Amino acid sequence: MFLNSVVLILQEILEAALLISILLVLSRQLQLSARWFATGMILGGIGAFILSFNLATISEWLDYAGQEILIATIMLAVLGLLTLIGLYSTLPPSSSRHALPYLMSICVALALSREGAEIVIYLGGILNHQASIQPTFTGAGIGAGIGLSAGVLLYFGLLSLPVSWIFCTCIVLLALIGGTMASQATLLLTQVDWITYSPVLWDSSIWLPEDSIPGHLLYALIGYEATPSLFQAIAYGLGFLLVSISATLGHLNHFRSRRTNTGDK
Amino acid sequence: MSRSVGRFVILLAFTLGIGSNTSFADTPIVELRIRNHLFFPDTLEVPAHTKIKLLVINEDPTPEEFESYELNREKVILGHRKTVIFIGPLPPGEYPFFGEFYPKTAQGKIVVTAQQPSE
Amino acid sequence: MFLIAAILAVLTLFNFVAALQGYSSSLKEANKLFDQHLRQTAELIARLYAGHPIKPLDDESTLAYQVWQGQKLLASFGIEQTRPITDFYPGFGYANFDGYRWRTLVYYDQNHRNWIITAERTDLRYRLAESVISHAILPILLSIPLAGLLIWLIISHGLKPLRMLSQQLKNKQADDLSPVVLPELKSELQQVNQSINALMSRLEVALNREKHFTADAAHELRTPISALKIQLHNLEEDISPDNEAFQQLRAGVDRIQHLVEQLLSLYRSTPEQLAHNFCRINLHQLAQDVIAELHTKFETKQQIAELAGQACMIEGDPFALTTLLQNLLNNASKYTPPGGHILVTVSTEGHLVYLKVEDSGPGIAPEDYDKIFKRFQRLNNKPDGSTTPGCGLGMTIVRNIADLHRARIEIERSRFESGTAFIIIFTRTED
Repeated sequence: MFLNSVVLILQEILEAALLISILLVLSRQLQLSARWFATGMILGGIGAFILSFNLATISEWLDYAGQEILIATIMLAVLGLLTLIGLYSTLPPSSSRHALPYLMSICVALALSREGAEIVIYLGGILNHQASIQPTFTGAGIGAGIGLSAGVLLYFGLLSLPVSWIFCTCIVLLALIGGTMASQATLLLTQVDWITYSPVLWDSSIWLPEDSIPGHLLYALIGYEATPSLFQAIAYGLGFLLVSISATLGHLNHFRSRRTNTGDK
Repeated sequence: MSRSVGRFVILLAFTLGIGSNTSFADTPIVELRIRNHLFFPDTLEVPAHTKIKLLVINEDPTPEEFESYELNREKVILGHRKTVIFIGPLPPGEYPFFGEFYPKTAQGKIVVTAQQPSE
Repeated sequence: MFLIAAILAVLTLFNFVAALQGYSSSLKEANKLFDQHLRQTAELIARLYAGHPIKPLDDESTLAYQVWQGQKLLASFGIEQTRPITDFYPGFGYANFDGYRWRTLVYYDQNHRNWIITAERTDLRYRLAESVISHAILPILLSIPLAGLLIWLIISHGLKPLRMLSQQLKNKQADDLSPVVLPELKSELQQVNQSINALMSRLEVALNREKHFTADAAHELRTPISALKIQLHNLEEDISPDNEAFQQLRAGVDRIQHLVEQLLSLYRSTPEQLAHNFCRINLHQLAQDVIAELHTKFETKQQIAELAGQACMIEGDPFALTTLLQNLLNNASKYTPPGGHILVTVSTEGHLVYLKVEDSGPGIAPEDYDKIFKRFQRLNNKPDGSTTPGCGLGMTIVRNIADLHRARIEIERSRFESGTAFIIIFTRTED
């Protein structure tokens, strides 16, 4: 039970911690108050409990496809929010920056609800197994410790980059997470046959198995998949492009408005 | 109704014309039960290159998560509930799966054979 | 904060990953041990089995077995099922039966041609291994918060002198160049502290020298200028008064005299020079006095100088405030063309007192607002290009005096068609 709970908790915490770290660095770069972070965490915690208590009912909707549809919707919503964050954070400060904290806290709340619900369900189930409680919770502690540490180190790592790189790196990492969201949503929809099967593109499970620690890390960071399908890869590309193009558009717009500003003088 | 609406949305979203084109009745249903954190049967034989509708019934009071890295499938099944997972079409081979919440005992595999299963 | 968080993160990461590695290799070893046990049991059963069923070994055992000869079950223990629990294929494997998952070993006994299958429940096996190993891991998990607390204490203790140093530097007034004193310093910081103090004292010496040089030079220049003026007066009697060269000479000497006076009052308006002999002053009364004093000046240029508002009491230095008003009014008169207006208003609003000096001169462009406070800065917008005496120190003196009274200066357009309004905002003292 121990190793198992380490892996399970690590997977969920790592994904959330990396997203939160990147958003925190971005908001620090943009000199936003970090109050959105607390709001997002609290909403996410509440969301996780609501989702986990209702998942049994939700799962039976739509011919047992409810769970996948809901989670895929959450993932696509996170992708949408990341796109908006990419756009707004590159626009000139005055225009729409006040919306960013709201976007960030909703984004964190959605991500945490999804990841947290699985943890709540898992640990809730374990509570019925008297003998497993101690090793499971020890494992959960270790998994959470590793996940949070990785998040903290990513945060400081990003901040220690040359200042001109930080922003760009954050956007690229957010775009990668956006790609992961699109790819995972595709996978979930395939699982309930809402998207048809597509051939597997490659199999790298021998080189880098998904269930190894580097595999988990890469999955959380760039959505690594040992045997991705064609549609997953396409969705990944689209998600990545969506976030990065919106950020580029905002940036170009910024430039243009800056030029007209100086032109006025 | 909502299913076709959903499909329409997916079609719009991906503009690739993706959508299920196999009708429901054609898909063979395979049953898998979870009891006392074990899969029954622990080996499922399915034909190659066929989409399978896997009906997973959790008879335990505790939740379980059906997971397979080889199949790229992951789904939580709560206690005393059942669910549906679509698998394949797959080339012949062995595809292990496990219950992520109790992986020490909940182990199983799907064996995809080129010919029709003997039954 | 950064140090502690980063160190803890690294510590946690490496500790936990190491613990995981330890756990998985221990588990592997434990598994090997259990498998060995399974094999020994199978061999033991093979040797003991002499053709008739043997009694169970012991009731507490987690082991189960079947002995088969061909398709006939010779003996069984701990297994309800009467079919072979796994295929007759020698080696280790897993099987599900009786509602559990088992680790199995199939062993073929050559002598008696028997198949011996030993099995152990995996859940019990892992539970045993896990409880042993997780007890070894738990201390690592619990040690992290403890280590965190210790690291926090050590780091904050180690950085205490640095924090005190930065605190002292932060609390210092801009003009306070006295040395920083820190108790019991570590050697590295001792050096930093010494360097800072050395720098401070050098800076203080240099600043003092500059200040005194200006003041001393101005003071020394006063006497020769007075002599010059007397000589000019004597000369006036000898030559015709409308000699142009003579008039120019007199204007030049007047300008030098003004500059020297201004330099001296600039020096006196620095905080160190003004003894803090603040008292309650009626600003309105003071403004009235200064306007009266400068009456002839306004008269010559036919300017109308007016005073509005009511009596307002502020806390201040009368000499300095007189200098401030003189400078503001001189400036206003200087930049306002003949026949123009100058309006002084003293008003209160809440706890603030406003002294507003408005003129009808050409005004100042907003981008030049900052420039006028620089020393020797003069803006080239004199209305007639005349050679009014002026040296560009006036506004610097005004700012120094305003700073001394913790007053704020604002500049805006005056109420006249053109011109500038200088507003000095004081804090009012309670009546």
